[in-house]
Amino acid sequence: MTLETLNLILLGGIVLGALYALMATGLALVWTTLGIFNFAHGTFIALGAYIAWQIASTEASGAGLLAGATVSIIGMFVIGMLIYYLLIKPFERSPDIVVKSVITTLAGATILENVINLVWGPRNKQLSPLLGGDMSLLGITISRNEMAVVALALVILAALGVFLQRAPLGRAMRAVAQNREAAQLMGIDVERLYAIAFGLSAALAALAGILIGSTRFMNPSMGSDPLMKALIVVIFGGIARFTGPIYAAFIVGLLEAVMTYLVGLYWSPTVLFAIMIVVLVAKPEGLFGRYRKSV
Amino acid sequence: MTDTLLLDVRGLDGGYEPLQIFRKIDLSLVQGASVGLFGPNGHGKTTFLKTLSGIIDPWDGDIFFDGVQLNRPGARGSRRWRNFNYDAITRRRMDPKAVARAGLIHVPQGNLLFPDMTVAETLSIAPYASRGRANAAETLDKVFRLFPRVHERLSHKVRFLSGGERQMVAIGVGLMAAPKLLILDEPTLGLSPKLRGELASAIQTIRGSGVPLIVVDQDIAFLEELIDTLYLFDHGRISRRIEKADMPTHEEIMKLMFGEDHH
Repeated sequence: MTLETLNLILLGGIVLGALYALMATGLALVWTTLGIFNFAHGTFIALGAYIAWQIASTEASGAGLLAGATVSIIGMFVIGMLIYYLLIKPFERSPDIVVKSVITTLAGATILENVINLVWGPRNKQLSPLLGGDMSLLGITISRNEMAVVALALVILAALGVFLQRAPLGRAMRAVAQNREAAQLMGIDVERLYAIAFGLSAALAALAGILIGSTRFMNPSMGSDPLMKALIVVIFGGIARFTGPIYAAFIVGLLEAVMTYLVGLYWSPTVLFAIMIVVLVAKPEGLFGRYRKSV
Repeated sequence: MTDTLLLDVRGLDGGYEPLQIFRKIDLSLVQGASVGLFGPNGHGKTTFLKTLSGIIDPWDGDIFFDGVQLNRPGARGSRRWRNFNYDAITRRRMDPKAVARAGLIHVPQGNLLFPDMTVAETLSIAPYASRGRANAAETLDKVFRLFPRVHERLSHKVRFLSGGERQMVAIGVGLMAAPKLLILDEPTLGLSPKLRGELASAIQTIRGSGVPLIVVDQDIAFLEELIDTLYLFDHGRISRRIEKADMPTHEEIMKLMFGEDHH
């Protein structure tokens, strides 16, 4: 393996890691705050990408990528809140909400995916890149678009981290996640916070979808593979800390890039799962977790 | 209803579906007065207080606080079919955030608060309930004067605090919410005698500063110094209402509650 190949693999892994970090953080946000797993997250990715395409692409409205991304992210925030009120809230006080929400979010995912299929058709589409052209880094040539994806993902994640740490709303969100009853007694509107957390998670999914759509192709089921990877990342990293899934995302991304080089595309998920199982046997609460909220 | 009542609970029924925990609770509090609840464990005091603050939906009865009705009027609809998800189609009778924002603040029993937040962060979200009713910085000062230990522990996470410190933070959080009426559910539960004394005097200071209290405690002597009326809670009902003037001794209460002499 030459140094150049190694650098290529590393950079590919970092790009993958940035995308996984965005998706996994969105997933973990709902998981920690509401205590449920959102199986519709993958479809949110696809829907976000398609809304952006509808606004941005010259084949459709042609308003440019920035307008498309803005509409898509805001739109997905609203759709996410709507999905919360339709699919999660009715079961809010039932003791087996975890199981029920698996079914309802899976149903939502299936319905949304078919809606996308009906509206936009199954053919592959692509968003225009954020930045055109190439740049050279560490002796290899990479597209500026991919670097923009990594930078944007990191900036958004940092902003989210600051929001959760410092902003009153973000603090309230963490409070609800840790002790719902005490939060209610402090006058916090738990239902609204849940809806906002769900909307934020959907907006993050939309952003991930846009970034995937601009670096690869998009199709109605484009979210299912990233969803699985995000799930691995969340379990791998543990959710005790906000940064857990982010570190794990880059580790998984790099591992995947290395494995794809070493054992090929077909075997790399197998190796990834094997590594995950070994890690979980050794450290059940995840690589960076202290304890895990029981779901 | 008269304006002199701060809290007026009329015929409150409630419990955990389908199990009724307490029946027909009538409890009133005149402006500026405090009450104590006393009764054996497992008789529904905590459930009653949780219902009062809206965490558990009441089945029947009304709650008036500071001239406002806290619950939606009317009895709760029938829940005849046990397997039907009534929560999906019925609105709750009480809204805990509205209760907290009205100034009825509940410091729950054995409060765990938010284990992974620092004390400073925990105190910083408390003013949600008091928005527009109090100056947060001023109240924070008051809390620090009352509990110097809380000030020392500001940057520590709540789960690293001792039980007593946690209870101090919990009460501090209650004060940050600018209570018009503060509910303390067994504030000295499980604490060492020394800490107990420290907390008890702090609670007396709070009472002295003009905050009315509803206190549940197992220590009659402690209650006696704080409250004007004592309610005896027995098998989910209020079995007796005792004014301060004829407050009984511990032995007499034991006799009242259990019908026998414990010595």
